[in-house]
Amino acid sequence: MAAEKSAMVVVMGIDDSEHSYYALQWVLGHFFSVPGTFKLVVVHAQPSPSYSVGLSGPVGFFGAGAADALPYVEADLKKISTRVISKAKELCSASKMNDVVYEVVEGDPRNILPEAVEKYHADMLVVGSHGYGAIKRAVLGSVSDHCAHHAHCSVMIVKKPKPKH
Amino acid sequence: MAMVEEKKRENMRVMVAVDESDASLYALGWALDHFGAPPEKLGSLVILHVQQPFHQYILPAAGGPVAVYAPTSVTETMKKAQEQNTANVISRALSVCKEREMTAETLVMDGEPKDMICQAVQLKGVDLVVVGSRGLGKIKRAFLGSVSDYVAHHAKCPVLIVKPPKEEEHRE
Repeated sequence: MAAEKSAMVVVMGIDDSEHSYYALQWVLGHFFSVPGTFKLVVVHAQPSPSYSVGLSGPVGFFGAGAADALPYVEADLKKISTRVISKAKELCSASKMNDVVYEVVEGDPRNILPEAVEKYHADMLVVGSHGYGAIKRAVLGSVSDHCAHHAHCSVMIVKKPKPKH
Repeated sequence: MAMVEEKKRENMRVMVAVDESDASLYALGWALDHFGAPPEKLGSLVILHVQQPFHQYILPAAGGPVAVYAPTSVTETMKKAQEQNTANVISRALSVCKEREMTAETLVMDGEPKDMICQAVQLKGVDLVVVGSRGLGKIKRAFLGSVSDYVAHHAKCPVLIVKPPKEEEHRE
């Protein structure tokens, strides 16, 4: 009865954190061991520089100094993105996973990840989880939470186990 | 680098939580279709059903100030009904597995589903827990039910939330 089904498309959202790399490794180790059954799309949401610098506040509040910082912030963010993607590439090839597309999209991961799901007609979205408690989550927002609610496909949340005390 | 154990898919323990909803059976089938083939690749499968406690007293309908304990006969009937219900759920789940030539361990627990699922994760040492996105709650506008939401936040292992296919969402 096992029909020849097309490869499952998985979108994986990663950022520059240990949780993301752990999640990617977990998925590679546990699911992608059979070649040809999965197509992986690794998406890194690069925060937009103005968001990072805090210019979203009242215009002119930070004065001219902040605007000068923009190009440096942008370059820095690009460097981080490059690093994230190359780490992802390393992990994927270590697991002999070659059917991978890597994308860096500027913006908020909470929008970008569901959009990537739509774009690639993904069967599943995988995200790591920073494991914020309720308070941090309310203030900082939780991408994994948002994706679980809004992505139109199945969502897998991979948590890095906390060190046991 | 991150210390991921060298466990491969062959040794992965997966637990799927099922209830009376079609969504949870769909989740079971989806998970098996995508990760369970060929069958020998999946380490082990546990099907969990949590029986919700029913209150053993009845509040009088009109004006009485005091809750009355239900006569044993009523409790007995309810218990039997629940056992029958559980048996149905388990057998439906097992036939989903059988269709795909998978065997599964079954586990029935009593209590609040969201708490029991998280406890079962630790009890059974599973690598992945699978839940449907929305089971018995009929709030259509919610994409994610309260149990799956709770489990996503609190389970101590990776969580897979299976959404029903789009056609079903519209049909409801």
